[in-house]
Amino acid sequence: MTKSMNNFVVSGKKSDFHLPKNFKITLIVLVLLLIASIAASLFFGAKAVSMQDLIDGLFYSDRDSHGANIVRKRVSRTIFALLCGTALGVAGALMQAVTRNPLADPSILGVNTGASLFVVFGIAYLNITSANQYIWFALAGAALTAIFVFGIGSLGRGGATPIKLVLAGAATTAALSSLVTAIMIPSTYAMDQFRFWQIGSVGSGTWDNIMTFIPFLLVGLGIALLTAPALNALALGDEVASSLGVHPSSLRFGAAFGGVLLCGAATALAGPIGFIGLLATHVMRLILGPDLRFVIPMSALAGAIILTISDCIGRLLGSPGELEVGIVTAFIGAPILILLAKKSKVRSL
Amino acid sequence: MEKSHLFRAERLAAGYEEKTILHDINVDIPSNKISVIIGSNGCGKSTLLKTLAKLIKPSQGEITLDGKAISKIPPKKLAQLLGVLPQSPIVPEGITVADLIGRGRFPHQSLFSGWSKKDYEAVAEAMEMMKVTEFADLDIDELSGGQRQRVWIAMALAQQTDILFLDEPTTFLDITYQVEILDLLTDLNKKHGTTIVMVLHDINLSARYADYVFAMKQGQLLAEGAPEEVITDALISDIFGMECVVIDDPVSHTPLVVPVGRYHSTVNLF
Repeated sequence: MTKSMNNFVVSGKKSDFHLPKNFKITLIVLVLLLIASIAASLFFGAKAVSMQDLIDGLFYSDRDSHGANIVRKRVSRTIFALLCGTALGVAGALMQAVTRNPLADPSILGVNTGASLFVVFGIAYLNITSANQYIWFALAGAALTAIFVFGIGSLGRGGATPIKLVLAGAATTAALSSLVTAIMIPSTYAMDQFRFWQIGSVGSGTWDNIMTFIPFLLVGLGIALLTAPALNALALGDEVASSLGVHPSSLRFGAAFGGVLLCGAATALAGPIGFIGLLATHVMRLILGPDLRFVIPMSALAGAIILTISDCIGRLLGSPGELEVGIVTAFIGAPILILLAKKSKVRSL
Repeated sequence: MEKSHLFRAERLAAGYEEKTILHDINVDIPSNKISVIIGSNGCGKSTLLKTLAKLIKPSQGEITLDGKAISKIPPKKLAQLLGVLPQSPIVPEGITVADLIGRGRFPHQSLFSGWSKKDYEAVAEAMEMMKVTEFADLDIDELSGGQRQRVWIAMALAQQTDILFLDEPTTFLDITYQVEILDLLTDLNKKHGTTIVMVLHDINLSARYADYVFAMKQGQLLAEGAPEEVITDALISDIFGMECVVIDDPVSHTPLVVPVGRYHSTVNLF
């Protein structure tokens, strides 16, 4: 007799039921990796720091050596990378659940491109320059694009089905990308401003940016955790979800809104960083199974780790300058995406 | 446990886009009984089931549960009374039997509540009822078609509704599994008094297991009643557009439909 069978037969015993098999070990490994990635992010970089610098920078705010100052700068950068990674990991899980497409990336609903378009427009015509301005433009662009894609995807029979959403997202992305290019080409100023942002970097991780980012992160995470059980029902198909008392279209809208918030805010401050949502969620689902009540929080953790480590790699490889983290994640993510797509096991959620 | 409900549809019309499939249907679902909707392919039996189950919005008419329009009942509340197992639900990759069945508890859980004692008990009971307890930890993909279907029904049972709608629960299964599933559903009806409404393809199994039959043709209700009253030579020939002879089922003494066809017949019909 299996263990979980006993959990059911011993009626009502509040047990480990529903904790996925590998949950505890995965959690332990992730926490260790998290600690390692934070340590690496503080320690490694274009400039080498000593252990003394590290201790001074972290614990003695009055000691003012060059190394200690570098470490202090890395603290905010590391926190920013962790938060962005969290947001992108959860955004990926939400978008995949909403579209019921295991390969969905936040970019699938056109969110990244919509955010880009609005930021470029702001830079080129409205002279926006600060993160505080970027974030609202990016969010507006992300939200409008998501609504637009949802609108097109909902037309016709059956409402917003996964396949129609994906097609609408792809078409919209193509159209908006060309607009981004069209705005940039005549303006060298916008091109320069935009170039660094567009690749994606967490080097902009100042305390101001972190404070701007946190409210969006919290609201997005709240939405993700609260909708997880309903999204679990949605995974069984729209009809089963309806019969369980879920309204599929409203749920999709709510969850996509959370995803837009997370991904839009992260994109505004760090630029479009791809593949984090895809990678984090995919790995977690492979290990833990499809229960989103576990996949979502663990993807948050995994996303934070992946982005922080990618940023470290970028700093080491690009030394004495740095390689933007968006390039690193693309290099790590693309081959893995191809592998995943080739695996026959990947099918609709 | 045994609770009666008055489930009624009046002057119902429904369909997809411009195409109306159901025309002016009036239905009273017999409480605590097993009802089966029969009819040929494309006659609208699935559409009727889905419309009654609120999966399709009717273009006309009203469906009421205990006198209240089902469109006015909050979705989660309705889901505590009425469960539906559609024909082709989606199986998420890598899902275990226990996880899938547990998702049937969704309507009983609030936004912040975790799993309660009642939830565990309901899942345990549903698994026992459908005899899938031993599979709890397995991946759904490891099961046979019949076992898988029992898991899906267990998911709907975990929902603990007084009324259960099933859209062709035995399709694509071997005869052994078809009978097994219908037996299990009958157990459920006898034990809990669950009102069951289902669409079945096999007319002889319908005649055997149904307390009440709804016969449909071209989007309209042609006849209804006990299987003995409804399943006659004339009506079945009309519905399926084919000569049939109805005899006595030697096992259950319910009507047994034997098709005639163009070959091999030694019966002189004229």
